[in-house]
Amino acid sequence: MPLAVVGLSHRTAPIEVRERLAFARGEVPAALVGLVESGTAGEAVVLSTCNRTELYLALPDERRGVEAAQSLLAGRLGQEPSAIASHLYVHRDRYVAEHLFRVTAGLDSMVLGEPQIQGQVKDAYAVARETVSPAGAMVGPALNRMFQTAFSVGGRVRSETEVGMGAASISSAAVELAKKIFGSLRGRRALVLGAGEMSEVTLECLRGEGVRTALVANRTFDRAQELAAKWGGEAIRWDEFGAALPRVDIVICSTAAPHPVLTRERFRKAIPGEVRNPLCIIDIAIPRDVDPALGAEPNVFLYNIDDLTQIVDDNLGRRRAQLPVAESIVAEGVEDFWGWYSGLAVVPTIRDLRDHGERVRREEVERTLKRLSHLPDADREAVEALSRALLNKLLHAPTVRLREAAGNGRGTAVLDTARYLFELDREPSDEG
Amino acid sequence: MIEAMHLVALALYLVAATLLGVSLARNETRLTGIATAVAGVGVLGHVLGLVAFWTGWRELPLVGLGPSLSVLALLVGLGSLGVATLGKTGPLGLILVPVAALLVGAAATVGVHPSGEVLAFQGPWFVLHVVLAFVGYAGLTVAFACGVMYLVQFRELKNKNFGAIFRFFPPLDTLDRLGKWALIVGLPFLTLALAVGWAWSERFGRPMEPGNPKVVWGVLSWLLFVAALLARAGGGRRAHRAALASVVVFAIVVVTYVVLRVGEPRAGGFL
Repeated sequence: MPLAVVGLSHRTAPIEVRERLAFARGEVPAALVGLVESGTAGEAVVLSTCNRTELYLALPDERRGVEAAQSLLAGRLGQEPSAIASHLYVHRDRYVAEHLFRVTAGLDSMVLGEPQIQGQVKDAYAVARETVSPAGAMVGPALNRMFQTAFSVGGRVRSETEVGMGAASISSAAVELAKKIFGSLRGRRALVLGAGEMSEVTLECLRGEGVRTALVANRTFDRAQELAAKWGGEAIRWDEFGAALPRVDIVICSTAAPHPVLTRERFRKAIPGEVRNPLCIIDIAIPRDVDPALGAEPNVFLYNIDDLTQIVDDNLGRRRAQLPVAESIVAEGVEDFWGWYSGLAVVPTIRDLRDHGERVRREEVERTLKRLSHLPDADREAVEALSRALLNKLLHAPTVRLREAAGNGRGTAVLDTARYLFELDREPSDEG
Repeated sequence: MIEAMHLVALALYLVAATLLGVSLARNETRLTGIATAVAGVGVLGHVLGLVAFWTGWRELPLVGLGPSLSVLALLVGLGSLGVATLGKTGPLGLILVPVAALLVGAAATVGVHPSGEVLAFQGPWFVLHVVLAFVGYAGLTVAFACGVMYLVQFRELKNKNFGAIFRFFPPLDTLDRLGKWALIVGLPFLTLALAVGWAWSERFGRPMEPGNPKVVWGVLSWLLFVAALLARAGGGRRAHRAALASVVVFAIVVVTYVVLRVGEPRAGGFL
């Protein structure tokens, strides 16, 4: 069965298109069942994230299946397939595996090497495996093996290369810096000044790392309460944040104030003596929220948006340098999978070819022996043996060649040729 | 066999140290794991060398400069493996493994063989005394490595140098806690070692001479050990002060040893 992937991603479609095409988790089973029950797909998996929507398919009829998949996606936009053709891509056979392996390893992600995609691919695969219909399972041997190989390739890329190492966003760079000071952030206390989007994203990252107490201070107290409630923190009034400073390990500043809100004077008032424990201050506001002079305080580690950007740029550069190694792991995975899959496809053809030869041999031997009824049993057996030897000799080379073609990726074309030449697709009753 | 295994251990320690250096320069964390494994094989070779000493000479390698340095090197190597595997701080090997290599190299240079020294203080008491003391000094060496890395990483973080050292060195808090525990574990061992030595002297009527280099070095080491721990008390930048104290104390202990050693008339002993 030919393989195909039909989809679009951040590389081919703007967010306005991607967000309309994306499948909610609850919508996926119905789409899978529709594809399989209609007979357009033998196996199907839908991968839908904020950056891509892709249908991975094993198709009994490749052309019809691809068209159905395109129609399904275009239909979500209420358009004809031709209207979104420029956004869609179609990969076939071994390139499906290559694409999936690159996606799973994070090599096709907007942020190179981002780790979430592997979990998203696993979710997509799990949903497909859990979905059943009267027509059967959504995932069969082909997609099962392909996705399992994808997880293995993704795991290898992460463990054997540094494609996923280091922070790749401002918020994760802030966390990386804090972790270089405190090690684990579990149980640490953080103060967030400002309740904007960046504050929220950073707070989310910190909570994800186990930060215990998150105090949120904002000029608008209601907004501070809202953010604190969302992330399990505690809202404090704006004029109280100074008093909170001695109690925290990390301060995240992201207000829209036009001038520094954490001056050295205010800091000194809050912490009159030497700072006993390290205090990490991440100032991601523009203009800056924190007086740069605070960085000179002995146990204070002050970083601004430029510092975080430098870390992100360095990390992304290092990730890119690892690409050749990662791509070679993907290529190994593709060879492994495609060798297996092509071999799988060639087995029925070889079996049909041998059955066909055996049927012809038997019929011809029987006809001949009827005319040679005077032959003693020993001679009749000799004729049988001769016919078998001839058949084996004649089929040996085609069998070997078919297996070789399967191994080197030319399997489909050679298989089609063999089936055509030996009329293997005709029913036995049609023959002679 | 004894010398051969020591040379094998030395070579493997040097390879491990080189791998750690490459790991730092290229920021390839995988190499740190390989270096730890190589150091582990080195420790194994080292153990075999000391076992060969024991079976060959029918005595423990605790008397004489060469054997003593070798045992101390082994304990530092084990400390390096311990912090790499249990503490997940393989980069500390960047300091600990070269120290182990230096010690085993020195041992191989002076020769790992019995000194012929006739000790007044022998038997299980002596073994206990020496082993306890060496474990204490190995703890101080780990604290020293943590201190050095803490001070360097602190400077990198303050100066916003986000290069190879920033990435490779462990977090400040990890180094601080590991350094503290190395001293907390090391001090009782050294204290017990001194207590065993003193008790033996009292028991057999051989009072310790205050001018004896071993006594001077032992007591001074113990006092410095306590000072390094006390550096954590009080206010201000405790962790930074403690790191600095660990480095200074280690340096004083080493320098004192060398000075006492030069002035020591008997050439064969550890002191």
